[in-house]
Amino acid sequence: MILDLHTHSIKSDDGRAKVENYCQWIRTRELPIDGFVLTEHRQFDLDSDYSGLASEFGLTILKGAEVETEYGHVLVFGVTEALMAEFDFGNINLPLARVIEACAAHDAVPVPCHPGRARVGMSAHLEEHGVPEGVKIVEIYNGGSRDNEDQVAQDMASELGYLGIGGSDAHIVSHVGRCATRFDAPITSEQALVEVLKAGEFEAVTYREAI
Amino acid sequence: MTIQSVTDVEFGEDLPVFDPDTTLDNVIRFTEAAGWRGPRFTDHEAARKEGLPGALVPGIMSQGFLCAMIHRWAPPAKIVEVDTIFRAPVIVDQTYHINGVVTDIDEDAGRVEVDLTVTNEKGETRVFGTAKVDLPTSAG
Amino acid sequence: MSALDIDALREEWIGVQFEEKSFEIEASAMAEYAKACGEVAAAYTDPDDPDFQAPPTFASSLQRGRGLPENFPKMPGLGMDAGKAVEAFGPIRPGPKMSKTHMHDIYTKTGRSGRMIFLVVRMALYDDAGNHLANADTRVVIREKPTGDES
Repeated sequence: MILDLHTHSIKSDDGRAKVENYCQWIRTRELPIDGFVLTEHRQFDLDSDYSGLASEFGLTILKGAEVETEYGHVLVFGVTEALMAEFDFGNINLPLARVIEACAAHDAVPVPCHPGRARVGMSAHLEEHGVPEGVKIVEIYNGGSRDNEDQVAQDMASELGYLGIGGSDAHIVSHVGRCATRFDAPITSEQALVEVLKAGEFEAVTYREAI
Repeated sequence: MTIQSVTDVEFGEDLPVFDPDTTLDNVIRFTEAAGWRGPRFTDHEAARKEGLPGALVPGIMSQGFLCAMIHRWAPPAKIVEVDTIFRAPVIVDQTYHINGVVTDIDEDAGRVEVDLTVTNEKGETRVFGTAKVDLPTSAG
Repeated sequence: MSALDIDALREEWIGVQFEEKSFEIEASAMAEYAKACGEVAAAYTDPDDPDFQAPPTFASSLQRGRGLPENFPKMPGLGMDAGKAVEAFGPIRPGPKMSKTHMHDIYTKTGRSGRMIFLVVRMALYDDAGNHLANADTRVVIREKPTGDES
């Protein structure tokens, strides 16, 4: 199963994609992905239910979040109400250690995203803050990367022993699926996603040249 | 193929790519017409002194390029909304491509939504956005 | 410099109208604007066309003059254009127009260049009969310079 682990909808302040249109796009363009995770900026969309769309289009549609820390932006998979009570998802100055600690306590997985990007990527903060404890996975393919940002991310992951995921970071419909993550097993829930991420059973893929 | 009505449009259709004129002469022409005469748009040296990589194509000009692409693709189009986010500077005298794809169609209402991007020669997105476009519900 | 209190800024300034202008739009400027943007249809490029009008994004170009309210706090960095949006309600023809501008939204986020403050200014455009022709939003982003950072 291949999932785009990093997408934004109109729920994000700079997102312009409706979820239904992501689904239509994936099917009409026959993209090589089986679904996507909505990782809205600085919030978790507790209320939206995409099960109808998922069923209609035969896709897996999951929800996560993208939060902001002193090490840059971080995707969070396995968000629950209990996790949401641990820290303010809207705070743009979250301590990464707090996010990691809370995720560990509530069976969620934090993944620094676009870590090769200036300011909002983890690699830009290692010199100032040191290597953070508890990071296991980072995003090594990001559909919005420029210049050598993905290479910086891959080099950092290699040096520090991190596993890597891929995601499009799509903010408009036509950018979904540019990068994604391949899993050995089918995934139909946020909890199943957390389990395979923790088990390390995945591989980042990029389709940027093909799509 | 130019579009004359919403029934001509297919979901996922690519609009013909438009390569705009981003030469300094044309940007100066634009700034004169628009009344936006700041040196950051019309003088590479002045722009660099402001810490910019070169003279900038004004954001409103990039927006204008996006609309021109839509009008070229569908002459009867009435653009009712266009929303653009500027991710990185668009620099005068560099080559860019304006791209669009159809991402939603409401045939009953005669409305189409289009994803829009301005990309550089490396394929990196400098501007992206969306437009809502009204088209005749039947040709003629 | 200490960080701006964004909540206080929002409470004080959102919804505040700070400019109202009357002006004339000239056909020749509209046509040159359209041609520079790559428009080819006569309705946008030929002032003698019976349906001659400005491309809808022309409304964005009318947001000149005062960009922010008088007495708005000094922003801690260079303001850059982060994006624009136009809603078009009617054709923009040559002739007299009126605009009203207000502070529409203020928010922050982090980006490639650190904490950024976004100001959304909305200009509403009317013709001389009072018909609402367009809304044009400009999002200005100010990168908040870290204390002691030369960059």
